[in-house]
Amino acid sequence: MSAGPMTPTTELPATRLLPEELEVARLIVSALSLEVAPEEIEPEAPLFNEGLGLDSIDALEMALAISKAYNVKLRSDDERNHRIFASLRSLTAHIEKNRAR
Amino acid sequence: MPPEPGLPLIGRAAEEVICHRAGGLVTVGRLLAEATTLAAQLPAAGHAVNLCTDRYRMLLGFVAALLRGHPTLLNADASAHRLQALAGQYPGTYLLADAPVATSLPVIRVGEVEAAAGHIAPPLLPADRIAAIAFTSGSTGQPTAHRKPWGALVAAARAAAERFTLRHGDGPPSSILATVPPQHMYGFETTIMLPLQADVACHAGESFFPSDVLDALAALPPRRWLVTTPLHLRALLAEGRRPVPLAGVISATAPLAPNLAEAVERDWAVPMLEIYGASEAGSMASRRSAREADWLPYPGIRMGVEEVEVPGLGAVPLADAIEPTAGERFRLLGRRADLVKLGGRRASLAELNRLLAEVEGVADGVFLAPEDIESNPAARLSAYVVAPGRSAEDILAALRLRLEPVFLPRPLVLVEALPRDRLGKLTRAALRAMATP
Repeated sequence: MSAGPMTPTTELPATRLLPEELEVARLIVSALSLEVAPEEIEPEAPLFNEGLGLDSIDALEMALAISKAYNVKLRSDDERNHRIFASLRSLTAHIEKNRAR
Repeated sequence: MPPEPGLPLIGRAAEEVICHRAGGLVTVGRLLAEATTLAAQLPAAGHAVNLCTDRYRMLLGFVAALLRGHPTLLNADASAHRLQALAGQYPGTYLLADAPVATSLPVIRVGEVEAAAGHIAPPLLPADRIAAIAFTSGSTGQPTAHRKPWGALVAAARAAAERFTLRHGDGPPSSILATVPPQHMYGFETTIMLPLQADVACHAGESFFPSDVLDALAALPPRRWLVTTPLHLRALLAEGRRPVPLAGVISATAPLAPNLAEAVERDWAVPMLEIYGASEAGSMASRRSAREADWLPYPGIRMGVEEVEVPGLGAVPLADAIEPTAGERFRLLGRRADLVKLGGRRASLAELNRLLAEVEGVADGVFLAPEDIESNPAARLSAYVVAPGRSAEDILAALRLRLEPVFLPRPLVLVEALPRDRLGKLTRAALRAMATP
């Protein structure tokens, strides 16, 4: 952590999604036919198990949808894999960083 | 007659390749030498829960446990709750893991292992020695154990090797890449037992997403085999990239839709083979799905109507109804009673309905399997629920505590009443009519 004069943990309301996060949330909800409104997904909550309750079937479906929409290929040997799938926020960040524009 | 001397732990020569790792290949001799070192670090007695996701480390841990005389519990669930349950049931339970595990049980970390010196011959194991214990989970996650004697595992591996031409002398050595975990009976039979008993090397790394699978296949030497599931095949075909030339693709865990089988044969120009199996009995039969409807039992397997005779195991009840056809072949008629299978897990709809009825505030409710459950790998159950004053999220949250996640309904629809007839019964037709207004 840097000890610079940063505002301590900038207060985005926990439920507010960034536009690109909302886009990924919509993609996930429609690809997986989830029973949740995209706007209501907690950006920092875990996607798998206890959070959004996704499982390995969903992981494959999600990988397909993300590959089609963003041309970003998810990989399981990726060292950062656990971090990428940790939350909607981390997944979106990964997509934004790797997407073909 | 002299007593049966036993069956070899590894039925192969020391110089043969048994595994392809990122860092290079591993021979049978090397595996035995490393397993000997690892075995010395294991407790004197006990049961091994092998959680390793790297397939070589799974193999290494399994062989080390066998050298020590310990059965391996085929369980991939690393939750503290599940591990405690196993420890309560199996004396001396310890874990073999290649990643950190949050547990109070003894853990032996399987990393890079020093090879023991000198030539080590694979020992003979008694045919009745329990080498592995497989689990079927059911709807509630209350697993049932299925004990696997070494004789049954070896017989099954030899039968599969004969069926898929993986024996010595059947052709060049084969390499197998699997998308199924080695702790699942199908993955265990194909990527742990086959390399130990046939002319086969497994791929060690984790391969789950389409990109992983395609890249890893390209790195393997020919004759390459892909061992997978309908769910993965669908994703791989949708990915659009054609894999390197393969000797065969094998699918199991769920029925393969004819259009998927045909697409693999056409687009990849490779035989698409399907295995019929169950955790209780292991692999029982195979077919080339795009060309034949009937299943051919593995050598030594005898299909009855209600049960199957498995070498080394005896009679095992069948979960599916079957109909004998020409020769020894048979056709699958579908699941007995009300069983559904999703994501490789089985549940009874009656049991799911019972669990739903137990949720506080639920007055009535029913689970429904979609029409395409046997052909759509991503199919999900739905549920229609009468629960005045409660929300769908409430009920889902309660179900989440009781059910394996794969059986959670999508969607869960709240209704005012279910279309029960005068006898209180729900007919399939009435339910379908409600489901498609």
